[in-house]
Amino acid sequence: MSVLVAVVAVVVAIATYLTWLALRLDRLAARVADARDGLVGQLVTRAQAAALLAARCALPGLAASAERAHRGHLSLLAGSPLDGEVELAENALSRSLRAAAVADAGQRFPQELHAVDSAAARVALARQFHNDAVRDLRSLAGRRLVRVLHLVGRRTAPGYFEIDDALSPRDEASPPMLGAPLAAGTAPRPDAGGQADGSDRPGLAR
Amino acid sequence: MRIGLACPYTWDVPGGVQVHVRDLAETLIAAGHEVSVITPVDDERNLPPYAVDAGRALPVRYNGSVARLLMGPVSAARVRRWLREHDFHVLHVHEPTAPSVSLLACMLADGPIVATFHTANPRSRFLTAAQGALQPSFEKLRARIAVSEAARRTLVEHLGADAILIPNGVALDSFAGAQALPDYAGGPPTVVFLGRIDEPRKGLDVLLAAMPPLLAAVEDARLLVAGPGGAAGLRARLDPLLRPHVDLIGLVSDADKPRVFASGQVYCAPNTGQESFGIVLLEAMAAGTPVVASDIDAFRRVLDDGRAGRLFEVGDPERLAAALAEVLTDPAGAAELVRRGHAVARAYDWRTVAARIVGVYQMVSGDRPVSVAPG
Repeated sequence: MSVLVAVVAVVVAIATYLTWLALRLDRLAARVADARDGLVGQLVTRAQAAALLAARCALPGLAASAERAHRGHLSLLAGSPLDGEVELAENALSRSLRAAAVADAGQRFPQELHAVDSAAARVALARQFHNDAVRDLRSLAGRRLVRVLHLVGRRTAPGYFEIDDALSPRDEASPPMLGAPLAAGTAPRPDAGGQADGSDRPGLAR
Repeated sequence: MRIGLACPYTWDVPGGVQVHVRDLAETLIAAGHEVSVITPVDDERNLPPYAVDAGRALPVRYNGSVARLLMGPVSAARVRRWLREHDFHVLHVHEPTAPSVSLLACMLADGPIVATFHTANPRSRFLTAAQGALQPSFEKLRARIAVSEAARRTLVEHLGADAILIPNGVALDSFAGAQALPDYAGGPPTVVFLGRIDEPRKGLDVLLAAMPPLLAAVEDARLLVAGPGGAAGLRARLDPLLRPHVDLIGLVSDADKPRVFASGQVYCAPNTGQESFGIVLLEAMAAGTPVVASDIDAFRRVLDDGRAGRLFEVGDPERLAAALAEVLTDPAGAAELVRRGHAVARAYDWRTVAARIVGVYQMVSGDRPVSVAPG
């Protein structure tokens, strides 16, 4: 009898533990999905801001990059993965945004330039949130017990999203300090030790 | 937004995290957000209307200081009820590495959670040991904020996760547009010093040694010393030739502090010891007074490498005198320092800092509010 009780107790404990692991995996998957949606939203905003600036300042190069990014976003919004192709298009847009011509043209349209900078800073943050979530999910999904028992199911492990989202330094009248308000209208900037130095890139999961 | 803030340390015991949570809550409320704070407290009557009592925390000796902790089932029930009653759009836990209300909230909640890490502790044995146990709670965090570069580094080293740097805010409202004290409006060029007279690290001696060379350049310059400690002794010690140029007004109230800054054409911080943060510099800049300060790490950072205020070599009276004379005799340069100082002060103002934090909230909160986690 007591053996039976012990066996039942052990089985219940194991089942509880596995259920808890599965719950954590589900929660992380939901967090990754939300972070992905947030990141896509910020990428869309950045491309729109860039397209507006390009139209105002007649910058064909920037307009082309924004258009290319925009086409990618349509399939992203339909659910396609954040893959290498998207990274290439977003990198091209980042590069176009850092062109000297953009900074010059932006002098005449500070508001539009500002919207672009603001959106670009948010892309960097959203990317960090996304990659943090991916790292947490991959680290739990990579545990031996989880792998052996196929707790992750058939879901493919999400990948990190790596783009060059460093902001262009702008020599404005106000010094580039520890970030201006997000809500009150100025762009946040990566500060000393901020996100632009690559140190935010998460390492590969085990 | 409906925002829940969890503070791990006893509300009515003085501490930096408590002050941060209070200022953040009040700034958010003033901006029209709905805010509720949950915190341990010794006497419930000390709680402001927006805060909820999580119970009495237990003092535990740890690492040479007393940490006050709270992890019992009663507090867990209170945190759970608080979460259920408020339906927050975002839950913001502070210092969730402390075994208290923030960690409890993190364990019990599900949904958009943001954490702020305050402590810089390069070799925390506790964090290293607890990493595995904390992971299930910390993997719920949608965004991590560190208040300093050191706090961020601690997080990276111990928990392998990065954080966004958003500094502590400073309440600077009362400093803008202050009036000079009665005897100082329109008087001779005045240098302001604020701090304890008898504390050598505050560097008053360096400033007094700089007075003769300063008077050689600006003959009617005057020094206004506001701060407690041994004024009579100092007056007796002072060179008789300097006495007419030095005013000792003693301790000033917080309400008069902005007026002290406004009474000078330049504020001087000649500190010789390391300071962790130059709040007083920010206050001077918010009051619109140009700053001359020792070239120490914290001041250099606040003064944007010397662009928002003049830096001089620590403990060097000659260079200090030259810097002061320059600010007093070059109105255009001084005006430029004031302008840049205003911009810097604005970046640290609680409203700016809170706006950045709200930006993070907006980015992590989705359609689903915070709920109580199953299991």
